[in-house]
Amino acid sequence: MLLLPSPTEGSRTPIGFAPVDENEFDESSAAGAGARVERFERDSLPFMDQLYGAALRMTRNPTDAEDLVQETYVKAFAAFDSFTEGTNMKAWLFRILTNTYINIYRKKQRQPFQTGTDELTDGEIHEAESHTSRGLRSAEVEALDHLVDVEIVEALAAVPDDFRLPVYLADVEGFTYKEIADMMETPVGTVMSRLHRGRRILRDQLTEYAIDRGLISAAPTGGRA
Amino acid sequence: MSCGNPHETPCTEVLSLTYLYIDGEIDEVHFLEVKTHLTQCPPCRDTYSAEILLKAMVKRSCEGAAITKDRRARIVAELRQFSITYLE
Repeated sequence: MLLLPSPTEGSRTPIGFAPVDENEFDESSAAGAGARVERFERDSLPFMDQLYGAALRMTRNPTDAEDLVQETYVKAFAAFDSFTEGTNMKAWLFRILTNTYINIYRKKQRQPFQTGTDELTDGEIHEAESHTSRGLRSAEVEALDHLVDVEIVEALAAVPDDFRLPVYLADVEGFTYKEIADMMETPVGTVMSRLHRGRRILRDQLTEYAIDRGLISAAPTGGRA
Repeated sequence: MSCGNPHETPCTEVLSLTYLYIDGEIDEVHFLEVKTHLTQCPPCRDTYSAEILLKAMVKRSCEGAAITKDRRARIVAELRQFSITYLE
């Protein structure tokens, strides 16, 4: 048999690329699948408690929260090929979690996820810009700070979904508005107005608890300029 | 309403930037404007402190949640099972 030198021999591996273990990329092999699940576990499992914490505030029920986390992991693993290594794994997982929650919620409630309007009322805009209206004072919040964590969690649970999620994602997880917008599939402006309203509802709720507990006076505290 | 003193940046503008500031979303120019204003204006400073405290309260109250060991193990087992099924 005549052996012809192959002109392409030696040029198949592009310059600058180190030889690779093909098993790592060939996921049709058992070893490749093993490597895939190993890589996924290594990168994603450290976020399980954080995802659970968010799921707990979303569903407000430990069993539903665990189910949501489980479903999130299965979906994330199935979609792992679409994850770009070196990008933000936590944000990617939270996006799947939030999406899954919103879809389950929609199905269960048989109604659109959105409630109310995202537009800020004139009163809210005025409040945001004025010291005079029922704006937040630090002395008042310091009184609220005497509430126990359980009461704060309860107050947060009373905030409707649309507004609770951005508050949680921003305050507890420290996600950027852009990241939250991606997770909730809404414009950044919507995230901002929901955050505004969510914090307002939360504050009102906390104030009610604080009045019940006698931490602050129920008397109107207006007239502070 | 201002504290009565004239400011380079009006209180209304500073207060409208509260969330952008406390959420770390503010640009550098506005950040410096707000920072300067807050050193000069106790009422705005108080509002900012209150919002920062409220944000911290939410974070504190929600931290430390942990999934049960049993469920964690079940999730890992399901991933491995799924990984095998995925091949077939």
